[in-house]
Amino acid sequence: MVQNVAGGKAKPVEEEVITEDNVFDKPDETMGFFPGQVLKDGWVALFLLIACVVMSYAIPAPLSEPANTAAVDYVPRPEWFFFFYEQMLMFFPGYTLIAFGAVVVPTVFIVLMFAVPWLDREPVYSPLKRPFAVIVGVLILIVVVLNMLLAVSRIINFPEG
Amino acid sequence: MVDWMEDRTGIVTQLEHFLYEPVPKRGAWLYTLGSATLFLIVLQFLTGILLLFYYVPTTDHAWNSVYYIMNEAYFGQLIRGIHYWSANFLLAVIGLHMARTFFSGSYKAPREWNWITGVILLLLVIGLAFTGYLLRWDQDGFWASVVGIKIGSYSPFIGGYVANFLLGGDVAGPATLARFFAIHVWLLPAALAPFIGIHLYLLRRHGEFGNQFEYTDRLAKLHEQQRLEEYARYELDGEEDGAEEDGRNGEDRENGRYSDRE
Repeated sequence: MVQNVAGGKAKPVEEEVITEDNVFDKPDETMGFFPGQVLKDGWVALFLLIACVVMSYAIPAPLSEPANTAAVDYVPRPEWFFFFYEQMLMFFPGYTLIAFGAVVVPTVFIVLMFAVPWLDREPVYSPLKRPFAVIVGVLILIVVVLNMLLAVSRIINFPEG
Repeated sequence: MVDWMEDRTGIVTQLEHFLYEPVPKRGAWLYTLGSATLFLIVLQFLTGILLLFYYVPTTDHAWNSVYYIMNEAYFGQLIRGIHYWSANFLLAVIGLHMARTFFSGSYKAPREWNWITGVILLLLVIGLAFTGYLLRWDQDGFWASVVGIKIGSYSPFIGGYVANFLLGGDVAGPATLARFFAIHVWLLPAALAPFIGIHLYLLRRHGEFGNQFEYTDRLAKLHEQQRLEEYARYELDGEEDGAEEDGRNGEDRENGRYSDRE
């Protein structure tokens, strides 16, 4: 269908023999990148742009007092996307554990993230058929979200640190 | 004109090829997450360049220049607002994009390098988010960065070097701001751009991988075909068995086969 649109490229439709190797070569239904996908991408981009514009007036980008490098009692807050990391550090208290929690654990996690394609080599794609990968992924999500909530509740409970 | 451009550059064919590339249809809304990431990064580049018109990366003037952008400069609040909010959305959208890729198994062969460049891009964006915080030179950004550098200094073996590299001295001061500025404005964006290019090139090379529900018909066909092949083989086996029956006994085998067939 789409090949016809591309003009001149229409091949005679021959019955393709589907094998294990080529079953995932192309999806059942395709559409031209333009306009189908481009339009959808455009809607999302437009929505995000409007959201950015509205937010920049509704909640202006924050700017606190000028930095006082001599202050000793200021309690800094990380940005929300570092909340889970900051909260995670709370589980590694003290001088001996902090290096482990702050650097070693994240480094191992990053290395594992790079290795994901080789850790999960099953030739199946459906999440239903990859229970191990899915369980690990959901567990990571739960840990991240729970840590975020813990950080938020800590900040609400102890606004002064 | 179009012909002339085509003749000189071949751009028309390229564009046609680019625009009419077939992509999966059913999950199209899921695949807008990647382009949303790209859009937000483009916003970051544009608003970042505009912010540089007024921003002064020195400890004396950094906070004042940001204050000026927010209160005096034309559309300053909007430009900085977009920079700030699109950065926040960017982190969220990257998370969603990654989750989609992970759960649909899109990182599997031959798309391993799409995943790897994606992880590199994630790390670069986190680096940008971290270094951007200090540039305001306000209490929040300054002390959060001090904590961040402190965390970096805990790295086993290389902690001292990490802290030294980021601080540019013994304590956070003018040198630190200069370094964070250089990293945020030059180093990381320059590193980000080529990896975005590779990520997109690989996407086009291997095609967008849909979720498995994009392939239900083809999978159904494949299974149907495999079932027919199985039948054909059993029937063939059955005939062979029938022929062999007089010669050899093979009763056990036969039983096995027949129960299989039923």
